[in-house]
Amino acid sequence: MADYKAVHIEKGPGGWGGPLTILPTDEKPLIYSVTGGGIHPIAARIAELTGGEAFDGFSSSAPFEKIAVAVIDCGGTARIGVYPMKKVKTVDIHATSPAGPLAMFITEELLVSGVKLDNIKPVE
Amino acid sequence: MTELYQSTVTDIGELVPAFIAEGMLVFFGEGAPEELRDFCIMHEVSHKQDALKVGDVVFIDNFEAEILAVGDVANENLMNLGHLNLKANGNTEADLPGDVCIAEVELPEIRVGTTFGITRR
Repeated sequence: MADYKAVHIEKGPGGWGGPLTILPTDEKPLIYSVTGGGIHPIAARIAELTGGEAFDGFSSSAPFEKIAVAVIDCGGTARIGVYPMKKVKTVDIHATSPAGPLAMFITEELLVSGVKLDNIKPVE
Repeated sequence: MTELYQSTVTDIGELVPAFIAEGMLVFFGEGAPEELRDFCIMHEVSHKQDALKVGDVVFIDNFEAEILAVGDVANENLMNLGHLNLKANGNTEADLPGDVCIAEVELPEIRVGTTFGITRR
């Protein structure tokens, strides 16, 4: 069994929502990066600190129930709502607020936005 | 006239009409994760050349509309992911960083095989 550790993620400048605490488990090991160009540095950092498995959502797919946290670089319309709608905790790199047809699914318990590397801290 | 972007629709998600009803078309390139497909118009890019800007023209089959606003991350989304949030809201400033805005017009019907793109006059 892997040894997982929790991280605390706060919103960045101009961001919205959170803070979120992310703790991967054997059932939900994935730090799911749905960003352009491979694993985003934010996803890599969360994986490094938690012991979760960084996963590139654009190169292959994984079931929702295996995702500990989704990391997106959404401009505010689609991806920002898709993961919260499935109750998957979501970190948006961009400082967006809930909008679009999926806004009703987005809550402060499920989304944190504008996140920079400094906003991710291990839980002691 | 310069062709900046050219693509063909390959699939249309079940929930696309809900977005169209709000004056939005959400495009994603092939390779987008499964869970996004319900919401999106999937397409296969045949040509991409340059970043779009205000004043360029979006065409969808015979429909044409001038771009009024381009959000800060819209070009990054389009080039990396084939992802475009096209909003027919008449805004001259993008509300959200991913938005590309055109006049408040009725959006055209989208079918598999529909061609869309962006040109510069």
